[in-house]
Amino acid sequence: MRHAGFTWHDGALLAQGLGVSLGLFAGTFLIGLVLGSAAAVLRHFRVPTLGTLLHTGLELLRNSPVLVQLFLVFFGVPALLHQPLTPVFAAGLTLSANTAAFVYFIAVAGLDAVGRDQVEAARAFGLSRVQLVRHILGPQALAFAVAPLVGLAVNQLQVTSLVSVIGVVDLTKAGDILNLRTLRPFAVWTLVGVLYFAAAKTLTLLGNRWERRLRAHAAPLGL
Amino acid sequence: MIAVEGVVKRFGAHTVLDGVSLTVAPGEVVTILGSSGSGKSTLIRCINGLETLDGGRITVDGLDVADPRQLAQARRLSATVFQLFNLYPHMTVLRNITLAPELVLKRPKAEVDGQARALLASVGLAGKADSYPGQLSGGQRQRVGICRALAMNPRYLLLDEVTSALDPEMTAEVLAILGKLATRQPGGAGTAMLFVTHEVEFARRISTRIVFLDQGRLIVDLPTDQFFAADGGLAHPRIRQFLSKMAPAAPLAEIPA
Repeated sequence: MRHAGFTWHDGALLAQGLGVSLGLFAGTFLIGLVLGSAAAVLRHFRVPTLGTLLHTGLELLRNSPVLVQLFLVFFGVPALLHQPLTPVFAAGLTLSANTAAFVYFIAVAGLDAVGRDQVEAARAFGLSRVQLVRHILGPQALAFAVAPLVGLAVNQLQVTSLVSVIGVVDLTKAGDILNLRTLRPFAVWTLVGVLYFAAAKTLTLLGNRWERRLRAHAAPLGL
Repeated sequence: MIAVEGVVKRFGAHTVLDGVSLTVAPGEVVTILGSSGSGKSTLIRCINGLETLDGGRITVDGLDVADPRQLAQARRLSATVFQLFNLYPHMTVLRNITLAPELVLKRPKAEVDGQARALLASVGLAGKADSYPGQLSGGQRQRVGICRALAMNPRYLLLDEVTSALDPEMTAEVLAILGKLATRQPGGAGTAMLFVTHEVEFARRISTRIVFLDQGRLIVDLPTDQFFAADGGLAHPRIRQFLSKMAPAAPLAEIPA
């Protein structure tokens, strides 16, 4: 099979890899979004020990390379617990936590940007904390945070390529397999790059549309 | 009844309220006068639970505001109008008004909407229901702030220097509305008002009682006519000094030379 040409099967392999990459991204970004925002809300209300603990943990995650985190989870944790992890599980765990760290800092900034005066008004009018987050803090913090979140999403999509190193057959790993078989690195990696670009570009366009819609609502905020 | 009993509030080493006691009974219009930094606004913020007390006790119809559960109940009885309006900028004027009645008082949306539109019409803002606060003038925003408070059907209306951020023309339009509101009270069962202000003449016209704070201490608590009487409030040098500086137009004539 040396120097074999491209076959239809290769298309299927790449499509499957792309699917894994997109699925991994979508899943971990969603989880990260929920966890990071929740942590930011806890911090906003100055929940004593838990808030500080989360802040420290997420700070560690933000300030270390994803690849190192991935190795720690995939190789380090099983060695410690004597319990092997599947590559997909390790990848999902690492990327979710890493995304949560970045979302946390964006969400904290967004929450802090909402005027203290409105929060006091809402409290004096008897809104509960949950109602305060849902109706006053959330919508405005989101309007402030949407642009950095779209940027983060595009970045995290590309970061998923690292999981190929621990054996998850994502788009990059599919390219690797294809390259080893065909020995045409320029063609293969160009193709893989174009597929990543298409996915990231689509994400950016969707994000921008969402941002425009949010900003239309938030026009009175003077953003 | 709002009962403030020996309230102490400190910010660091600075004592802002130093053993203040007063009551506001249903239907009363009580004005708190005093120079800036005398603790007037802090007192309001202690009553609606935005500040915690360092001493003393505040109850609203028997509900202790220091207790979180009772505070939640007390907040359904009173409503606050803020100096800087504190409207929600991402919501329409209508939503600003209907939010708390719907979420906190659990009243049906249609009923609250109807009341909000009627309130807006009564302050001359019928056409602004779908505008955002950022599109309104200061005076208009404060009128929305008043509607937002009234939509809670409060037993006690707390007004914290509501005209201090407004120019004289806008001040006049807001005071006209508050004046109507105060005189509409049949002196018994209506909404009581606790009014922190620098508008001495206005206070004199609408208040049943006037309280004077100086450096966190309550100096006098008198019926309005006695407050302005030469042998009443004006007998206090501090009050005489304050009134002569605050409203040189009117009360000066009554200050004995």
